[in-house]
Amino acid sequence: MARTMTNKSGWIGKVFFLDLLHGLSLTLRYMFARTVTHMYPDHEKWIPYSRHRGHHFIKTNDEGDVNCVACELCSKICPCDCIIVIPFEDAKGNRRPQVFDIDLARCLYCGLCEDACPADAIKLGQEYEISATTTEALVVHLEDLIAAPGKAENGGQVMPAKLITPDKTALKKTGKDTRTHSVTVEGTLKAAEGYDWWQRIRK
Amino acid sequence: MESVIAILPLLIKMAVIVAVLLLLPMPLTWLERKIAGHIQQRPGPMRVGWHGVLQPVADAIKLLTKEDHIPAEADRLLFKIAPIVALVPPFVVFVAIPFGEPVQMFGTEVTLSLSNMNVGLLFILAVSGIGVFGIILAGWASNSKYAVLGSLRSIAQMISYEIPMGFSVIGVVMLAGSMNLFDIVARQDGLWNIVYQPIGFFVFFVAGLAEAQRIPFDLPEAEGDLGAGYHTEYSGIRFSFFMLAEYLVVVVLAILNVILFFGGWQGTPPLVNPILWFFLKVGFFIWVFMWFRFTFPRYRYDQLMTIGWKVLLPLSLVNILVSGFFMF
Ligand code: SF4
Ligand code: SF4
Repeated sequence: MARTMTNKSGWIGKVFFLDLLHGLSLTLRYMFARTVTHMYPDHEKWIPYSRHRGHHFIKTNDEGDVNCVACELCSKICPCDCIIVIPFEDAKGNRRPQVFDIDLARCLYCGLCEDACPADAIKLGQEYEISATTTEALVVHLEDLIAAPGKAENGGQVMPAKLITPDKTALKKTGKDTRTHSVTVEGTLKAAEGYDWWQRIRK
Repeated sequence: MESVIAILPLLIKMAVIVAVLLLLPMPLTWLERKIAGHIQQRPGPMRVGWHGVLQPVADAIKLLTKEDHIPAEADRLLFKIAPIVALVPPFVVFVAIPFGEPVQMFGTEVTLSLSNMNVGLLFILAVSGIGVFGIILAGWASNSKYAVLGSLRSIAQMISYEIPMGFSVIGVVMLAGSMNLFDIVARQDGLWNIVYQPIGFFVFFVAGLAEAQRIPFDLPEAEGDLGAGYHTEYSGIRFSFFMLAEYLVVVVLAILNVILFFGGWQGTPPLVNPILWFFLKVGFFIWVFMWFRFTFPRYRYDQLMTIGWKVLLPLSLVNILVSGFFMF
């Protein structure tokens, strides 16, 4: 490859360092191109597309019960063995999960659990800010999964956002913090495809 | 009293130059990181101050408060003096560097150089050659294989590139008929030397990159294969001495390129101060060095030697021959 290229440009290219000049012009162009950095978490946040596989959530039906029938298919198919489902019979006589734990530290977000589920219960959402100081804290339970945010209609946009840190003074006074770390999005998502950053830097 | 008044402007000039040189690496590191960032389509430092302008201050605090570690097996005396030996030559070089025509200040004429040497160019080349001693000492004193390898490489590299560098400026000296940098600049009143000496400029520029050990010739501190080369074992303030020396060498090279080939303060567009114009050109060259740094990969060691001995040396000799022929 390299040989054919030098042959092509020939000795003129060699004498005038055409290949080096080409490299220089490329970096010069990039030097004045738009930067692709997202100002996360201070000013911006990337809202993934709705196809994004993030934090799991479990859907509930009209009666307020979870859709899950505790068939354990998701737990069987999971390549990481990170779902634990223990069934029980609830007051209405339905088979429901008594325990539904997912170890997010082991999960590889493949989405197979979502595919296997016959009851349209478990889904992977758009939430991706999953961090904790211990691995135990990354095991989420049934309540967390029900409370977890579902899929947003729109995505694939960078939104203005603000970083919220724990209230240090309140933490000192009361011994527990009222706020946790979070990046809240300001404004509403555009319905359109929005910010196509890849196209914009390629201009 | 008379002698004190005579020496006072010199002392003031020295103080100003030393202060500026000590502070200069701060904006340069910022610039370098910004350029690196933008070439890679990221904004570079953004957190400390407006667009990260205070980042060098944070870096300086970090370097000054770091543990100053000396390896147990190191030669302690040499290890301690090596950074100073490396740092002194770039400072000494500024003795001979002119920054502009003499200006009228407080009723007296002030020359914008510390000394107007007749062999200024020779002095600069000779002194900047001494810089390699600091690197040799650092590599040897660290008692570490990476450091020794790095300093061996840099010795070989500096020696091979000093020769084409010295030869490449001979054309300029022949044109000006003098080694005095003021004369050389004065000679470029009409047309800059780059027009007469394109090959000389090319050789000088490339050899200069190698002298300053900038990418693509940064083999003495090739991060990929040598840790950090000769300053692998250095930390804290001693390490920052080496960094300071490196940045100053870059500044010296940019200044030399401007003085020798781009007319110094000549060719000033109207309404621009000649001294400002000179520093603008120097800044442009510093920017070019940084641009090169983040564009090119590193040459292999044998390629480096081949370029030095088989390409640049013959080219510089041919350049002398051709310019001598034309002048005759
Ligand atoms: S996404 Fe994949 S790895 Fe994660 S819980 Fe579901 S099946 Fe297991
Ligand atoms: S989430 Fe779906 S697959 Fe998993 S146990 Fe419940 S119903 Fe079965």
